[in-house]
Amino acid sequence: MTRVLIVDDHSIFRTGLRADLGDAVDVVGEAGDVDAAVRAVDELRPEVVLLDVHLPGGAGGGGAEVVRRSAALLGEVRFLALSVSDSAEDVVGVIRAGARGYITKASSGADVAEAIRTVAAGDAVFSPRLAGFVLDAFGTAAGAPALATRDDELDRLSAREQEVMRLIARGYAYKEVASHLFISIKTVETHVSSVLRKLQLSSRHELTAWALERRLL
Amino acid sequence: MTAAAVRPPLVRPRDVVLGGVSVALSRHLGIPLPAVRTVFAATTMIGALFAVYAIWMIGNPLLALSGAAFALLYLWLWALVPRETATPDVPRTRVVPVAVVLLGAAAASAFLVLFTWGAPTPLPVGVVESAVLAVLSIAWTAAVDVRDPKRAASAPVVRTLGAALLILLGLLLVPSSFLAARPLVAVVAVVLVLLGIAALIVPPLVVRWTERSAERAALAREEQRSEIAAHLHDSVLQTLAIIQNRAGAGSEIARIARAQERELRDWLFAGTDPFAGDLATELRTMSRELELEHAVRIEVITVGDVGALESAALAGAAREALVNAARHAGGEVTVYAEATPDAVELFVRDRGAGFDTDAIPDGRLGIRESILGRMTRAGGTASVESSPDGTEVQLRLPRRATTASASAVSAASAAGPASAANLGAS
Repeated sequence: MTRVLIVDDHSIFRTGLRADLGDAVDVVGEAGDVDAAVRAVDELRPEVVLLDVHLPGGAGGGGAEVVRRSAALLGEVRFLALSVSDSAEDVVGVIRAGARGYITKASSGADVAEAIRTVAAGDAVFSPRLAGFVLDAFGTAAGAPALATRDDELDRLSAREQEVMRLIARGYAYKEVASHLFISIKTVETHVSSVLRKLQLSSRHELTAWALERRLL
Repeated sequence: MTAAAVRPPLVRPRDVVLGGVSVALSRHLGIPLPAVRTVFAATTMIGALFAVYAIWMIGNPLLALSGAAFALLYLWLWALVPRETATPDVPRTRVVPVAVVLLGAAAASAFLVLFTWGAPTPLPVGVVESAVLAVLSIAWTAAVDVRDPKRAASAPVVRTLGAALLILLGLLLVPSSFLAARPLVAVVAVVLVLLGIAALIVPPLVVRWTERSAERAALAREEQRSEIAAHLHDSVLQTLAIIQNRAGAGSEIARIARAQERELRDWLFAGTDPFAGDLATELRTMSRELELEHAVRIEVITVGDVGALESAALAGAAREALVNAARHAGGEVTVYAEATPDAVELFVRDRGAGFDTDAIPDGRLGIRESILGRMTRAGGTASVESSPDGTEVQLRLPRRATTASASAVSAASAAGPASAANLGAS
């Protein structure tokens, strides 16, 4: 069973989430602020950390700060961001710090458990909104995929990745994306992970400017 | 006049000739305006002549005051009668250039000095009068004219002339104070020069100071607002999310909390979303309304500048699709709108039980007319895909579809792979 650490500054939310998750996962601990979260990650070494984007304490960096300070453990511990925020800076900030996915706090217990399983398996979890952000940030809406081959591979999405992102933004589950595009779920997950990697590593000019504008970097 | 007649309130208008007192009185008392004006003007003029006569011929300054009775009445009403309440498009302004009149009177009084120079009075007659009038004129430009759009441009000129007059009077008195060894004259001379310099320097400083403090206040307000926004974001929004989560999707409480969350979010981040266009705002507003009425949670995602293409047809069709999803499916609904260089696409997906698109039930006739018909007429396409896992309405509107029907046809044929249940425009 997946070992999970819940990080959120609202104890009601932690308790509620724990109850919702039930037996689906093994909640090994809880933390309420940045410093406690970093300590707990280091001591407990959970497989997945459910991480609130907005956290008190530390240097004021919230969830992204927890991920950055635990960077040495990123191979072993995976972060799944939970947020009430619809704002791009919060979500993309924590993803670029190293989190492997983002879901909203309004998600049901079953959805969260499913997302935890996906992240624990090394794949990425994209909500429709995050997919929308990605399409916006990589500027796919502004034109057809860039024809210039000199572009860094990291700086643009392949046609297939765009299709996958678009379907996720339209509210399709991975399974539905797979059947719609006549590919396997595993392939969908590969595409999503690849997009996540690009989102984290890309130095694409637009993305950087976009992030700077929102004071992410 | 009957007892039932109600008098208009005694208020002064904002756009006036001198003080607005005559207009106020004539409206309130129902007397014609020219009559009121004539009474004030005539009595003031007669009073002034009488005052001059009383001072020079009778030598009784107290008697002169009685001549100013009507002028004082005017001033008294001016001070006590309230102005009409402010409306942004009617600035406070007056026809008579009071500062210029006062300055003219000051100059005329200064002219008197030429004739009274060397008189046995402590100061030449006209110096004090001229100085007082000039100071009044300067005070008027600084206090009243700067806020009057008609006079703001000329106010500095009038002020500078007034200051120059004061300094000139002071300098004129300096030699006479030395010659006659009269300390009082020397003091007055120095005071006049200082007043003139102050009139030149102080008002611009005051203006700059006011601007600076207004800027500081605006900055402080902005800082406070973002602080409040940050705080609300970390506390109230979180709590609302928890409420939605604990109350279970679709419950009344969750719906209210969701609507509240949206409202707060709109207020907090108003205008900060660079991608929010008209269509995006409209979709969000629709969603908020539907979430209040139905057990549904609608997520609106927009990509690209969807506001660039304003289309009542697209928004109307989207609304119909959303209403259908909220009414018949409920639960989670995703709206995705994407603007590409050649079209705007909009998808509404729900998780309901779906329906047979070939045999649209009576209750779903809205789809054919409100969604498909509307999009077709606007030069776009629409299709509905439904399965037991949910329904998706797909709308596509080419840019400039409304102007070129040819492009609409080509766009309709290029609307992508037609689904099994494509009800498109053909």
